[in-house]
Amino acid sequence: MMESMGMIRCEEALARLWEFLDGELPASDETMVKRHLDICNRCYPQYDFQRAYFEYTSRIREREHAPPALRRRLFEMILEQEANNGKAS
Amino acid sequence: MSRDAMWDMVRMAWTMLSGRTDRDVRPGRPREPRPRPEPAERAIAAEGFAEEALPWLDAVYRFSMRLTRGDQDAAEDLVQDTFLRAHRFWHTYERGTNAKSWLFTICRNTYLHQKDLVRNQRERPEADLDARMEALSAASVFDTGSSDPEQAFFGALIDDRVVEAIDALPEEFHDVLVLSDLGDLKYGEIAEVLDIPVGTVKSRLFRARKLLQDRLRSFAVGSGYVQETT
Repeated sequence: MMESMGMIRCEEALARLWEFLDGELPASDETMVKRHLDICNRCYPQYDFQRAYFEYTSRIREREHAPPALRRRLFEMILEQEANNGKAS
Repeated sequence: MSRDAMWDMVRMAWTMLSGRTDRDVRPGRPREPRPRPEPAERAIAAEGFAEEALPWLDAVYRFSMRLTRGDQDAAEDLVQDTFLRAHRFWHTYERGTNAKSWLFTICRNTYLHQKDLVRNQRERPEADLDARMEALSAASVFDTGSSDPEQAFFGALIDDRVVEAIDALPEEFHDVLVLSDLGDLKYGEIAEVLDIPVGTVKSRLFRARKLLQDRLRSFAVGSGYVQETT
């Protein structure tokens, strides 16, 4: 039925799903995948899961920072490197 | 009638007949905002270094932590070496291009230089990995019986287990996944850092994510949040 409506098949949508979420698909392909996901009960849960995965990895990114001591030490080492060179790099 | 208008009509009809409401389907994913430099770091004389390079310290630290598989001392040494080298060769960097990719490249090259290259290439044979990938059942991950399966799945995980699963990935899949999903680089940038074609980035990333999902699912099943399916 979906094919008769000019839609891509589930296999094609799923094959492009990661690229869709990575924002790496050309606009025309992006539209086709979105249209498929808008109505496909089989593929939408997978999209939803993969989107949740990215929200999760995004939270991991936000939580992990360089220790302040490392930042200070690095700053001092760079200034020392510049002093030893006697000029800016 | 335009193709888009025709599609909208079909979609509306489908919505009415199926009783489904609109879904929130959007391309793209959460991206890391460009960090700002610390005011004190502007004391660095190398022009633009404080503004373009140092703000990526957290990102390089996260990358280093994964390259060293969570060895904090080794990761901190790697971060130091990366930024000192970047500072020394700052004159070779073209201002305003892509300092983040440039730093990640230096970081990885430094890591590989410090490590025995031969020991770095002990991934399982490609054929073995292919067989494992074929055996994966991606669909089973979603069949949890919960009304909100993805939340239940990720709610069942704790960061340590996720990081453990990422670190257990074979090197060629590990690096591409870390650069993309934790490092937040685009395909083209990853290709640049790893010096491989964009097509290879895409295929490795696809396989890395499938493998990671399989491992995460095992954790979730083990903790009882997700039911085992066949």
